[in-house]
Amino acid sequence: MKPAPFTYEAPTTLGEAVDVLGRYGDEAKVLAGGQSLVPVLALRLARFEALVDLNRVDELAYVREDDGAVVVGAMTRQATVEADPLVRRAVPVLAEATRLIGHFQIRNRGTLGGSIAHGDPAAEYPAVVTALDATVTVAGPSGTRQLAAADLYDGPMTTTLADDEILAAVSFPVWGPRSGFAVREMARREGDFATAGTVVGVTVADGRITRAAISLFGMGPVPLRARDAESHLVGAATAGLDLTAVGAAAVAGVDPPSDVHASGRYRTRVASRLVARALESALQEATA
Amino acid sequence: MSDPHPITITVNGQARSAIVEPRKTLADVLREDLRLTGTHLACEHGVCGACTVLLDGSAVRSCLVFGVQADGAEVTTVEGLAPAPGELSDVQAAFRDCHGLQCGFCTPGFVVSIHAFLDANPAPTDEEIRSGLSGNLCRCTGYAGIVNAVRQVVRERAGGPPTEGVPTVAGHAVTTLPSAP
Amino acid sequence: MTATQAAPGSGVGRFLGQSVKRREDARLVTGHGRYLEDVLWPDAWHVAFLRSPVARGRISTLDVKAARALPGVRAVLTGADLDPLVKSWWQTAMGKDSPQPPRRLLAADDVRYAGEPIAMVLAESRYLAEDALELIDLDIETQPAIVSDHRGRWGAAKDGELVHPEYGSNVASTLPYPGMPDSNPALEEVLASAPHVVEETFHQHRYICVPMETRGIQARWDPARDLLEIVSSTQNVHEVRSTVSRLLGLSDVQVHARAEDVGGAFGLKCFVDSEELAVAAAAYSQQCAVAWIEDRNENLVAGGHSRTEDLTVSLATDADGKILGIKGHHVEDVGAFPTYGVGGNAGLAMMMLPGPYDVGQYFYSAEAVFSNTCGMTPYRGPFLMETVAREQLIDITAARLGIDPVEFRRRNMIRPDQLPFTTPTGLVLETITPIETLDQATEMIGYADFRKEQAAARAEGRILGIGIASYIEGSPAFGAAGAEQVTVRMDMAGQALVFMGSGSHGQSVETTMAQVVAEELGIDIDDVRIVQGDTISSPYGTGTAGSRTATTFGGAARIAGQKLKEKILQVAAVALEASPDDLEITDGVVSVKGTPGAAIGMEQIAAMAYAGHTMLPADMEPGLEAKHRIRNPPLMFSNACHAAIVEIDRDTGAVEIKRYVVSEDCGNMINPMVVEGQITGGVVQGIGGVFYEHFVYDGDGNPLTTTFLDYLLPTAADVPDIEIGHVITPSNTPGGFKPMGEGGAICSPPALINAVRDALAPFGGLPNVQPLTPEVVLDVIDGVPAV
Repeated sequence: MKPAPFTYEAPTTLGEAVDVLGRYGDEAKVLAGGQSLVPVLALRLARFEALVDLNRVDELAYVREDDGAVVVGAMTRQATVEADPLVRRAVPVLAEATRLIGHFQIRNRGTLGGSIAHGDPAAEYPAVVTALDATVTVAGPSGTRQLAAADLYDGPMTTTLADDEILAAVSFPVWGPRSGFAVREMARREGDFATAGTVVGVTVADGRITRAAISLFGMGPVPLRARDAESHLVGAATAGLDLTAVGAAAVAGVDPPSDVHASGRYRTRVASRLVARALESALQEATA
Repeated sequence: MSDPHPITITVNGQARSAIVEPRKTLADVLREDLRLTGTHLACEHGVCGACTVLLDGSAVRSCLVFGVQADGAEVTTVEGLAPAPGELSDVQAAFRDCHGLQCGFCTPGFVVSIHAFLDANPAPTDEEIRSGLSGNLCRCTGYAGIVNAVRQVVRERAGGPPTEGVPTVAGHAVTTLPSAP
Repeated sequence: MTATQAAPGSGVGRFLGQSVKRREDARLVTGHGRYLEDVLWPDAWHVAFLRSPVARGRISTLDVKAARALPGVRAVLTGADLDPLVKSWWQTAMGKDSPQPPRRLLAADDVRYAGEPIAMVLAESRYLAEDALELIDLDIETQPAIVSDHRGRWGAAKDGELVHPEYGSNVASTLPYPGMPDSNPALEEVLASAPHVVEETFHQHRYICVPMETRGIQARWDPARDLLEIVSSTQNVHEVRSTVSRLLGLSDVQVHARAEDVGGAFGLKCFVDSEELAVAAAAYSQQCAVAWIEDRNENLVAGGHSRTEDLTVSLATDADGKILGIKGHHVEDVGAFPTYGVGGNAGLAMMMLPGPYDVGQYFYSAEAVFSNTCGMTPYRGPFLMETVAREQLIDITAARLGIDPVEFRRRNMIRPDQLPFTTPTGLVLETITPIETLDQATEMIGYADFRKEQAAARAEGRILGIGIASYIEGSPAFGAAGAEQVTVRMDMAGQALVFMGSGSHGQSVETTMAQVVAEELGIDIDDVRIVQGDTISSPYGTGTAGSRTATTFGGAARIAGQKLKEKILQVAAVALEASPDDLEITDGVVSVKGTPGAAIGMEQIAAMAYAGHTMLPADMEPGLEAKHRIRNPPLMFSNACHAAIVEIDRDTGAVEIKRYVVSEDCGNMINPMVVEGQITGGVVQGIGGVFYEHFVYDGDGNPLTTTFLDYLLPTAADVPDIEIGHVITPSNTPGGFKPMGEGGAICSPPALINAVRDALAPFGGLPNVQPLTPEVVLDVIDGVPAV
């Protein structure tokens, strides 16, 4: 279980990284934290002529506030995200979701951008960016562009980024006061990819829900938004809300995959209940 | 550039140089080029934790880092944790005291991980201990001795009484019967 | 510390019965262990195997030219290169004439399971060897594989095509053996007339050993020394030596096998499999050093599999729940190439199915079948199906009869006044304590109080359950395994070297056996060193397996120690001009009882025994060395009762183990800390098997759980503290020790399943399947029919 040979490139600036990547086109792969990529290489499930290592691009590791959003550089380690005071205060569900990623040794090396660009449909971060309507900054040969989270994923572990583009940063909008969030997942063991999971957010004003977001992970080829369930929630009174029904609505029409860990049928039932549990917690937080 | 690269890593306080292929993992560089074989490989895909080392102070899987990526970095392996040759770190001593190992193959990864875990969280609850250990797999012990070893270190570092005798798995009821007829 | 009392017969002494810290640990906790991969020879060529990507098919193309041409590659060997070297291939324990499937080092014409080795690359590094694999041109015409999933697999295995055409049948073996009665008419009468007969079939899924250190071997043929030198990660160096010498037509003195530290095995490293033999053959034919370290992917796919079987049990009782008879039918899937013989475990399961109960009439039949899957290998408690099935059926029967399952067991267990008890299978149980351990376990877990707690929890909508299981652990010591030798040698300086044919792979043998010898000799434990795992220096032995080490090696060490002690006293008696009967040894000094000052140290005694031999009586042999080869019964027994409390999440079906209690009787404990470590480790392997681990094939025989992302081992976060109580009833063999290394893994599955079944009782029945994934559990709660 040893990787095939590759050429190693270790740029120190984003510009240099984009240039190097451009030279190889689809023959190169960006190496971020490596926590998903290196096992794939070791198993020889994929091979690349070159790896472009971003670990020496210091300008990609930061967390800062910018115009009502929290912007996180792609090479920010997950352990940093988890502990960052700004993230915990302004985008608490991002910190909460981070704690569910692998184990602390994985989070010490794994990066926010790496996980989001890898796009595992059972991973937490893609579901967080999908739920929170985050914006992704992508750097390419012709400069940078912004991409809405909803437009990021194409299929399992596939993004709409071009071969010569690098995911540089993610901007998480900060929701207003009286908002609450939660992430809930079912995994066979602690740290495993989720069998099924959900990220939810709600804002409440005068006893009514004014904003709602529900994303599902492990439930399809890409992280899913439960738009119908969200529209049932917006405008609804928090008192007497039938969360079980909302959970059922969130998974209606979803056709989750089956694998050695669970059938799609199981995923549907569990996701519906996780949505209900997550909403209960988020509503409590919003109305506390 | 798939040709071997010269690298220098400060391992256990000592600058060590090697010339390695980029594809060679840090674990293999430590084991083969630097002859530090305490870091073990038990899955090579980042799940079991046996290869855990400290990279610039953070516990990481050395099978998921390439040796070239550690060029210029500081690495601490299980061989570098004891205060002096022939001595044991408190975590290592607790593993011995509490029967935290049987075959010992996974032990280096646990010991390194626990040093890092307790540095970050010196007073964990039992649930936090078990969660903190969940990134390392052991097939022999059933984890009881390992959990007890962490509890012992937490107690000792908090200034608790020195550990006497061998703390074993749990409370016991012992009935001694005469030999059957 | 274990509060073991030094009561008569409990075997507690200065070292014996004490939780002595392990002498293995200082090196292992500091990274200075020496496992095979840590001691690879610098001149070794590294091996990677090309393995079959499909379960069954004909090899139409195998072209290794490009791989051979890769710089850094020494050789690419195929079956055509290696298999002509094979002279004979059999396992010592099975005997030369035991039936087995056709063996080959590398598949040449056809492949019979996904993962079967086809070619081996020898290269300068494993990296390069894997590069070369990618250059091999392989085409296979796929044929329909003989496999199916664990609920319907047997029909597929019996009909149609053959896994091994040479064998003539997919049925590998059957029970009863030829010549044994093929039915028990008295039992049939009981089954026809008993007030209650309950029959269930229990499906056991495939889960596997998975030691943290995988398999591995390095071998070097040195024609100048006429020696094939081997270092292997093995439980049994003598079997490595003998299998390799037979394979290549060498003599036993032309092969030297040894082991260094071994990183776990659990049965996987008892026997020598095709990859290891291929490495030895390659070293011999290439006249060089060759090393193979199995990677985890290989280990999961091809490292020997276990526990793929069904057991149907019928239990007849009278109106009061007294068992009148038991009938079992066992079907095992032994895969394509079992590592030993035909791989079946039914022979032992047949002997053990009655367990700790007085069962009346009995009959057992079995069938082992081949399939196009990885071959069967022993795994801790290989015959555990007897306990897994029996203990579940007891709970099911008790529930149908409306009898509490603890009470049901108590009514049927072998009572102290029945000992020695001869079972229907002819086993003689002399010192077992099933009722005592049942009482202790149920008291420790608070069985009576739990029922109240459970009722209250159910009223709140929580799902709690308790499960009990009891068993007899039978340790097979057939043939040479029952006759292990220990040699104790004291050289001129007065310390003891202890030579044994054991093969510790985590069992703490360097500590426990030193405790036994130091106790007997009256010297410090630091003055004892254990030498094992080397065919040149160790007495012939069968290694460490089958829970035998304490009983066979421990018993032999005790007697060898006693013999040496007698010799020491005889020599000291000459020096002190006293009778040996008046002497005692304390802290390494021999003194005359009641005469202060009349004493002599061990070093002086040793000097006299060797250099001063002219002073010894003419009929006394000089030197200080004693050996003993023990004769143990072919089966020895311990017993235990396990109890578990679980709580189930009604939204997800996830099971939390809230408490786990073991009460066991392994006789005199050499080291209680080590005993408890073995119990706990075994229990957690059972937790893994019941809830997490499952090696899965699809319908075409493709393995689906090929990494640790899919084959799930339990972590520290998935298991509770294990609470352990001891009942101590010494055995009748030297030292009073009993076998106990496998019991934790044998009894935990039914205890856990019974707890889940109990929890789910209000929702209807739990199907007799494993693993109990969250989905299986949730389907019961939600009333959804199983897929």
